[in-house]
Amino acid sequence: MAPTAASTTNSDGRRSRLALIVTGGVGLAAASPFFRPLLGMGTADAASKSQDLRILQLVLQLEYTQVALYEQALKEASLNGELRDFARTALKHERQHLAAVKQALGSKAGPKPRFEFGSKTKSAEAFRQTAIKLEDIAVAGYNGQAANLTKPTLAVAAEIVSVEARHAAWVRAIAGEVAAPDPVDKPMTASEVSAALNEIGLRTS
Amino acid sequence: MDEQRDFARFLHAVDVDGAIAEASHQRRLALSRRGLLAAAAAGAGALVLGRSEARAASGLSANDIGILNYALVLEYLQASFYTEAERSGALSGKTAQAATVVGATERAHVKAFQKLLGSKAVKRPLFDFQGVTEAQQAFLKTAVAFEDLAVAAYKGQAPKLRSSAVLAAAVGIHSVEARHAAWMRELFGVTPAVNAFDKPATKQNINRIVASTHFIVAHPKMKARSKPQYTG
Repeated sequence: MAPTAASTTNSDGRRSRLALIVTGGVGLAAASPFFRPLLGMGTADAASKSQDLRILQLVLQLEYTQVALYEQALKEASLNGELRDFARTALKHERQHLAAVKQALGSKAGPKPRFEFGSKTKSAEAFRQTAIKLEDIAVAGYNGQAANLTKPTLAVAAEIVSVEARHAAWVRAIAGEVAAPDPVDKPMTASEVSAALNEIGLRTS
Repeated sequence: MDEQRDFARFLHAVDVDGAIAEASHQRRLALSRRGLLAAAAAGAGALVLGRSEARAASGLSANDIGILNYALVLEYLQASFYTEAERSGALSGKTAQAATVVGATERAHVKAFQKLLGSKAVKRPLFDFQGVTEAQQAFLKTAVAFEDLAVAAYKGQAPKLRSSAVLAAAVGIHSVEARHAAWMRELFGVTPAVNAFDKPATKQNINRIVASTHFIVAHPKMKARSKPQYTG
């Protein structure tokens, strides 16, 4: 009964996998056996793949925002103890997510946005509250797009969304809060996610 | 209660494509600020179902019914585990509180799948948790394993679902199981989020792991079939 999440993950392999799926399988011949089940599934039509790319632009903004929040809070919020452990671990994960999404988008990846977090990264408690919001937005954002993605891209998104959910629960549990308040996570639409990210501090210009 | 409306809406969404997307994010944020009892009630009280949900099974493909029944068995396993742990009186402090909330949620998942599947729903197996619900550390260790297992199981099956409405509901449960996994890990004192990517597990792997625990001692249907038939 070894916990499944404890098994090791080849993040490089995973990045390649997402990139291969959305860019049309260039280099699949060199893929490890891990990729092989996807070969038969790579028949999604152009419209679906282009939709995947549009959705990944939204995901890119999400991941950029997360990386920026954790980077800035680790510099400015005087974090310590378990909250600092959380921020460091989450940052490491979000950087890997960001790298995977950037690689998948390739030259189509949108530019890195600016951020104005204001007081949100200036104290431990403000950061903690913002991290809860942002991780919940990430979960709701990924969940909201699940049915719009091609199945191979969905499979990779599913590997990311549960990590965002783990972050959301972890940062709640640190302060003794109810870490999983709902029986089912509600999704958000793309426009709701964009608005919520702007509220957190994302500036696209 | 807001929670009842939320959950009824989720169930409705399984039947009517797209409705789940209308659920407000604000409601969830509001709930997160409420206390433990309110959150526990979210699961326990959230079982009000409309007529449309009772009809849902007829519109499901055999493929999706199979996957939903597989998920139902995992939810039975979890719900029974938390219920037994709560009743054992062995849990205390934050762990007892978490078990109450998570148990209520898993029971709500069971009810939701039962209603969705209607007469197609598999029956609850008989469980023997072999004492792990009677000591806090054994409980937490098992809870971590169950929740990580559930995350991997949902992740493995989600891309195989045909109905986009069922998929939308399944991913909303998948991420809740991940929250549970992180919560139980935090209470157990291990890293709540180990890797940047959570791996899926196949049905075969999940079944093998569950079988290795010997927690499921009988499946009602199999039991019925294996009964000696009186033919005289």
